[in-house]
Amino acid sequence: MRRISALLLAACVLGSLLSAAVEPSHAQGIPQNIPRKDLLILENPEGTVKNAGWFNIWVINASSQSNGLQQVALDTLWYIDPESGLDGVWDNSLAADKPQYNADFTEMTAKLRSGIFWSDGVEFTADDVVATVMTQIMNPAMRFSAVLASNVASVEAPDPHTVVFKLKKPNSRFHTNFTVRWGAVWILPKHVFDKVEDPVKFDFNKPVSLGAYVLHSYDPDGKWYIWQLRDDWQRTTLARFGKPGPKYLAYVDPGPPDKRVIAQLNHELDVIHDIAPEGMFALAKQSKTTRAWFKGFPYGHPDPTLPAVIFNTQNENFKNPDVRWALALLIDIKAVAMAAYRGAATISAIGVPPTGTHPAAYHAPLEDWLKSFEIDTGKRKIKPYDPTVGKQIADMLRPSMGEQIPTDPAEIAKAFGRGWWKTDPVTAQELLEKAGFSKRGGTWVTPDGKPFTVRVMVEGDLRPVMTRAGTMIVQLWKQAGIDAKIDVAQGTLPTRRAAGDFDTFIGWSVETLGGHPDLSYFLDSWHSQFVAEPGKPQPLRNWQRWSSPALDKIIEEIRTVGFDDPKSTELGKDYVKLAVKEMPTIPLMAYNVFTAMDQTYWTGFPTAENPYTNPVPNWGNSRYMFVRLKPAS
Amino acid sequence: MSGYAGYVGRRLAQFLLVVFIGINIAYVVTHASPIDPVEQSISAVTSFGNTAPDAIDQMRNSLRELYGLGGTPVQQYLTFWKRILRADFGPSLSAFPTPVGTLIERALPWTAGLLTVSTLIAWVLGNLLGGLAGYYRQSRGLKLMGVIAMGLHPIPYYILAMLLLILFGFIWPVLPISGGATMNLPQSLTPEFVWSVLQHAILPALSLILIGVGSWFLGMRSLVSNVIAEDYVVYAELAGVKSWRILTSYVMRNALVPQVTGLAMSLGGIFNGAVITEKVFGYPGLGSLLVDAVYAGDYGLVLGVTTISILGVSVGVLAIDLLYPLLDPRVKVS
Amino acid sequence: MVVFLRDLLRYRAEFRIGLVLVALVLLLSVLASFSPYSPDSVYVVPPDLPPSLTYWFGTTSRGQDVFWQLSFAIRNTLLFGGTVALVSRLVALAVGLVSGYKGGWVDRALMSVNDTFIVIPLLPILVLFYFVMRDRISWLMLALIMACFGWAYDARLIRSVVMSLRQREFTQTSLFSGMSTRQILTEEHLPYVVPILFSTTMNNMVWSIGLEVTLAVLGFTDINTPTIGGMIYWANQHTAMVAGIWWWIAFPTIAVIMAFIGLFLLAVSVNAQIDPRSRLWSSGEAT
Repeated sequence: MRRISALLLAACVLGSLLSAAVEPSHAQGIPQNIPRKDLLILENPEGTVKNAGWFNIWVINASSQSNGLQQVALDTLWYIDPESGLDGVWDNSLAADKPQYNADFTEMTAKLRSGIFWSDGVEFTADDVVATVMTQIMNPAMRFSAVLASNVASVEAPDPHTVVFKLKKPNSRFHTNFTVRWGAVWILPKHVFDKVEDPVKFDFNKPVSLGAYVLHSYDPDGKWYIWQLRDDWQRTTLARFGKPGPKYLAYVDPGPPDKRVIAQLNHELDVIHDIAPEGMFALAKQSKTTRAWFKGFPYGHPDPTLPAVIFNTQNENFKNPDVRWALALLIDIKAVAMAAYRGAATISAIGVPPTGTHPAAYHAPLEDWLKSFEIDTGKRKIKPYDPTVGKQIADMLRPSMGEQIPTDPAEIAKAFGRGWWKTDPVTAQELLEKAGFSKRGGTWVTPDGKPFTVRVMVEGDLRPVMTRAGTMIVQLWKQAGIDAKIDVAQGTLPTRRAAGDFDTFIGWSVETLGGHPDLSYFLDSWHSQFVAEPGKPQPLRNWQRWSSPALDKIIEEIRTVGFDDPKSTELGKDYVKLAVKEMPTIPLMAYNVFTAMDQTYWTGFPTAENPYTNPVPNWGNSRYMFVRLKPAS
Repeated sequence: MSGYAGYVGRRLAQFLLVVFIGINIAYVVTHASPIDPVEQSISAVTSFGNTAPDAIDQMRNSLRELYGLGGTPVQQYLTFWKRILRADFGPSLSAFPTPVGTLIERALPWTAGLLTVSTLIAWVLGNLLGGLAGYYRQSRGLKLMGVIAMGLHPIPYYILAMLLLILFGFIWPVLPISGGATMNLPQSLTPEFVWSVLQHAILPALSLILIGVGSWFLGMRSLVSNVIAEDYVVYAELAGVKSWRILTSYVMRNALVPQVTGLAMSLGGIFNGAVITEKVFGYPGLGSLLVDAVYAGDYGLVLGVTTISILGVSVGVLAIDLLYPLLDPRVKVS
Repeated sequence: MVVFLRDLLRYRAEFRIGLVLVALVLLLSVLASFSPYSPDSVYVVPPDLPPSLTYWFGTTSRGQDVFWQLSFAIRNTLLFGGTVALVSRLVALAVGLVSGYKGGWVDRALMSVNDTFIVIPLLPILVLFYFVMRDRISWLMLALIMACFGWAYDARLIRSVVMSLRQREFTQTSLFSGMSTRQILTEEHLPYVVPILFSTTMNNMVWSIGLEVTLAVLGFTDINTPTIGGMIYWANQHTAMVAGIWWWIAFPTIAVIMAFIGLFLLAVSVNAQIDPRSRLWSSGEAT
């Protein structure tokens, strides 16, 4: 009996300890001593920051950028909004006006605002901009050293509110380096960095803010950062739009996707950066206060990025555009949208993301051209475009999703996209045969007589939606008799992508500004001058290593045309048509980010009905959200 | 005792040899990784920015110089060993220029604390239950407990951890499910902070213990079933010694010796960290540090954590080998 | 032998229960050959349906039937665990017996090799292997690599048992009667070691399967071969837990638990039956 009583005693002690430890966990997952109604909690998608006490964003890879540092503590000359912006797409932030170029784009002048102060009381002047450029040029391994050193011949501040850049070669888009589209060259404080011997080894802790918030406290283990509104917030550029609503901001690491959903349901996480579509549906079903970008399906915010099947066009099998077209015609985009996003995807047949102002600038005007576009299979000519695919997806989902699916054609086009290529195995077969491939006993064989093998590289766990899309595409190609395999490059994708060590991969080589139709943000890097030899590393973004003299001509012309000139949009359309003919990549859909916003404590988030900025919390542009947020009452 | 002293000397030599070989293997495997830290840094910088392609080559060279990746492989190897002997692991390449030692220092107390406590509790509980179950063969209650322990053991750890999280963090939200301590509480030895740390450790520890008990239970049970067939146990039973006394002084004392071996090795192995625990409960520690380092191709950090782990386990094994002859008098060191 | 088995069935409830459980699991894995769906095809059935009469275990978010998917997964996982256990047992047994008995420099040499394998942390090595081998890594390769790391711990355990056996009287007696080392090891010492071997086999299988699931959760899995770890990996990609698709995770977990409890009960009852004392106890009870 002694042993039983011993065990009972132990159980009692353990039990009492446990019950003392439990209390409503409501107060467990949020910061102490800060009133919840003044606090906005957002997700930092970088997760747990390894080197938490480091705030010197100008050193490569030293620490976090999206823990609030780039969103609310730093500032730069201009912002360009991926949506419509608070007061138009273009915002002159530290600059007082748009950039002024000379006639041949070898000199850029920026006029700066006055009355902007750093959080330690020192005024912001042109010397800070000069210091930003010179410090990084003189220390070659800093974040923006390379881009500044290769462009800037000299930079001067003729007066405290003017900066003049002299460029090494003509560059009509030099200003985009100082224009925030997610991030940009952030301005560093001259008066702080002057006192530092080696800027590469300086941790900038406690950071001096140019933005509206200062660092309040942070976790040495890198799981949370708390920022507090400056008392002198009127002396920052954000003040032009009003006083930011939240007094405190907390950027946290909320853990795996399941946990993020739980955290928001417990009202301990106000803004989720991204979760799987199923998580989003579960949230929408279980929480009355959760709001996504779209009110109903497809919920997610389409980022100005275009996931596609990217071919390695230097690979023998994929040199021929007919082969690439055949593979495109074997893809059933409805199945891919269902597999990747459960249908909550905005498809795009052309090489421009269907988001921001692009549908109006590119997708709508080119619809007629697409409908009449023809390909020649060698035996006949067919028109591959089907303008009703977006509507088909909506119809497919309506039985199970009910009224969440819009019925208005304009709404459907906005939410689901317009058309895509018809699934046409017969034409695909004809194209492959035209290219010299043959079908032997149900499997395709290359002109050399080898089995036609295609590997589709995906990133696995790090980008689950892309992996799901890739798996579906592999299945579709396999059904057509092609030996297709999925190749999970967990963690190694950036290295292999740069090395060209792949047949195809699911990723993106198209990224745009979103709110502005200019495509050179990505298109300039597609010039053949940047295409690497097979076996050598390819700089971004032309992962498909495609060179085309026709494309080079378009790019060179864009370089000579001003940023806001409507001619650059016309040239953009020429690029779209060329890419459709050649199909160097198979565009699939916009990168939908399932950002979920909890309206229990705060309202006024940007949405599709009110698209004043991008709510995705790791974007520098998300700062404009804070001036519109009001406490929910 | 000169036999023992000689034994200690030989064992120490073996220890040094094993550590040396282990670190070398880690070095070779890490550097055989196809992940290039320079490329990872570059892609991290450029994936979200507009960086001109010709600038990337410049960046690549500057980074290579900065990270100290120049020089032939032999030179790098020698530099590495020179540094290690001064207990300097160099800078972390994925969190440059913070020294690897600093990063490890921050994560280590969390891992060591959580895993030491969970391992010890699981060991005590498992051996206790295993011993009882092995001795009192007929007891239904103990058999049932055995089945429960064995039932929990094969549950994939991730599932169990998530179940606990959902149960105690969501359905009946009474325990904290995230972090090592409450947010915004300064890390000092105040009673408030210590209490918060303990609270936050309950769920992670519970998940580790539930999974760990099973293996100790099973081992102890079979060891005990061996021992009770021994003559001296039969003799004691026939002589009328109380069964509780037989269990503790005769059976467990003998059966426990191999289990102590296992304990020492488990304790040495805590420096591996518990990656899934850290992932699910957001607990800071070495495990996620290591996995992130492998992803980033951060040679210095991977080698740093691996070396600590190798040292930890080696010391554990060494301690056992030195203590074993003292514990079990039947073992003579030749 | 037949009498032995008959006695087991008649007198040992644990054996009966264990047999049933193991038989069920084996039946499930054999059924895989009759699956109407190929294991890697997706979206062949309507997704996210709860268990019903048409889909006994429900369907996954990827449009696969959980029952048939599980049959492949449990088969592959058991083969995997079994292979690792078998190979590593053989090595552990050989090393442990020889090392524990011989002592001297043989012991030291073998233990140095053993220790090197123990101290190398497994997870980073496995992850690095994945990076280097990429698509060439199959479950068989992974099993062999894990077997390489799985023998060390148990070899030490066996060695410690043998070391104490070596000093016992019966060993001396056998030696003086002129038995060779091999004879002593196999005929005298092996019976003591066998129960430990059984329990370490179970442990080893659980460990290797657990490690496979860990790697899968971290994303390192051969997603072309369905395994239990693979099913959990995909369930995670689709956040099945919070989306309420509990059957996708519950049934694989239950299958694994059934397999192990079944094996455990079998091992325990066979062990107990072999030992004459407990056999007498239980026979007395039954009559």
